[in-house]
Amino acid sequence: MLCQNCGNAEATTHIKRIVNGEASQIHLCYNCAEHLGYANMFSGFGFNISNMLANFFPEFTRALPSVDISERCPTCGTSFEEVVRSGMMGCADCYSVFYDKLKPSLSRIHGRATHVGKSGAFEVAPVESPKFEDTISKLKSDLQAAVDVQNFELAAKLRDEINALEGGTDNG
Amino acid sequence: MAKWYQLQGAENDVVISTKVAIARNVKGYNFTVRLTDDEKYEIADKIDEILDGKLPGKFVSTPMVEVGRDLQISLAERNLVSPEFVSFSEGRTLVTTEDESLSIMVCEEDHLKIQSLLPGLELEKAYELADTLDTILDEDLQFSFDKKLGYLTQCPTNIGTAMRASVTLQLPALSMRGQIPRLANTVAKLGLILSGAYGEADNPIGSLFQLSNQVTLGISEQAAIENLKSISLSIVEQERAQRIELMNSLKFQDVLWRSYGTLKNARVISFGEFMESMAVVKVGVAAGEIAIKNERLNELIFTMQPATLNVEYGQSLDRQVRDAKRAEKIREVFE
Ligand SMILES: [Zn+2]
Ligand SMILES: [Zn+2]
Repeated sequence: MLCQNCGNAEATTHIKRIVNGEASQIHLCYNCAEHLGYANMFSGFGFNISNMLANFFPEFTRALPSVDISERCPTCGTSFEEVVRSGMMGCADCYSVFYDKLKPSLSRIHGRATHVGKSGAFEVAPVESPKFEDTISKLKSDLQAAVDVQNFELAAKLRDEINALEGGTDNG
Repeated sequence: MAKWYQLQGAENDVVISTKVAIARNVKGYNFTVRLTDDEKYEIADKIDEILDGKLPGKFVSTPMVEVGRDLQISLAERNLVSPEFVSFSEGRTLVTTEDESLSIMVCEEDHLKIQSLLPGLELEKAYELADTLDTILDEDLQFSFDKKLGYLTQCPTNIGTAMRASVTLQLPALSMRGQIPRLANTVAKLGLILSGAYGEADNPIGSLFQLSNQVTLGISEQAAIENLKSISLSIVEQERAQRIELMNSLKFQDVLWRSYGTLKNARVISFGEFMESMAVVKVGVAAGEIAIKNERLNELIFTMQPATLNVEYGQSLDRQVRDAKRAEKIREVFE
């Protein structure tokens, strides 16, 4: 199906909406969806998106890299191929099972960020053992604190440390 | 009982409403795509049990299969559910307070979407309401959470806080002056999205826009809300300044009084025409030239929509009959 906005590219984003008392759907390509502000929302006030593969896993829609896409999550039975095709995880455990494969997509969407904010009362099995990334995220929060109190000397030092650590690995 | 959108809110000359939505998934269940309808109803039952008596204010739980089509669409028109939520009914339940300010969509995209809706700019209060409900439910339901990735959601774009806060803004003056693309670009650099609330994304009816946070991982709920609030307030100021400017133009004054005449006198009016005229009239209200309370106009955004009118009259009205009923209701406000 072609994009209803530009008519040029394959529609990958399907938005349900309510117009004139009736439910309807529009179909957009990735670029138009992004341009029109639909590309990165979960259903807010009026819109919802079905996430098709091209939106969140563009790296897998071209030549598939050397990852085993047939691997399945033992908890829910979802294969990585299904995750890529639907843009959806099958269960909470999928995150730890497919973590390495997801990493490029996650960091494209979220950068190198880790969670801050409210903590749940319970935790699922943690994804990998993030010693190295813990160090970086600690340094980053120290950096922010230093900037907040305008201690720019310390901030510069921390920034160098972070750059050195991040430059030293290639983890996407 | 009055619904939330019938009440007065802060900055309601520009800000129509505030919504905070938090996505959660119950430990021990697959995500929604992998659940049977029975499992989905099981989750809804658990929520009912927990809410029974634990919070002030009564929650009503309604399986969507028991709701008629007009009411389903009306729920979406009033922002209580997403259009996606009413695209099919099986397995889906809506839990809501009587005034509809606090609600849970059960088994939309995630197991729970805890939502609070308030009139005007009320981000802190809306977050507090949703947060309190989340904490109570988490004690028993045990939501899936990972230290590093935060709350785990079906779609990987929403992990982290899994919170989407949004503010609906009516920006007739900024729209008329062609300022929206510039504004959308600016807020995008600040991690927010500005998009049309009804109709086309870049040219929505009634100049109604939604401003929401885009980032969910690496930013706390409080920081996201603070960011959204300060940018909202800055847009409110810009809109107010542009409204004052507009009033200096004779051409605009003509449009204003014609729009006023339409709302005051029309015998048949579509929702689209109502919204366009009402957006213009807002500028006259801001200037003190038209004496109508903003909350009365804002309420009409919700109550004048097609399916919501059908629900009020208890039947699917013919379009022309509905347009006549709408005109009648609007004239009452403009008397
Ligand atoms: Zn397109
Ligand atoms: Zn799984």
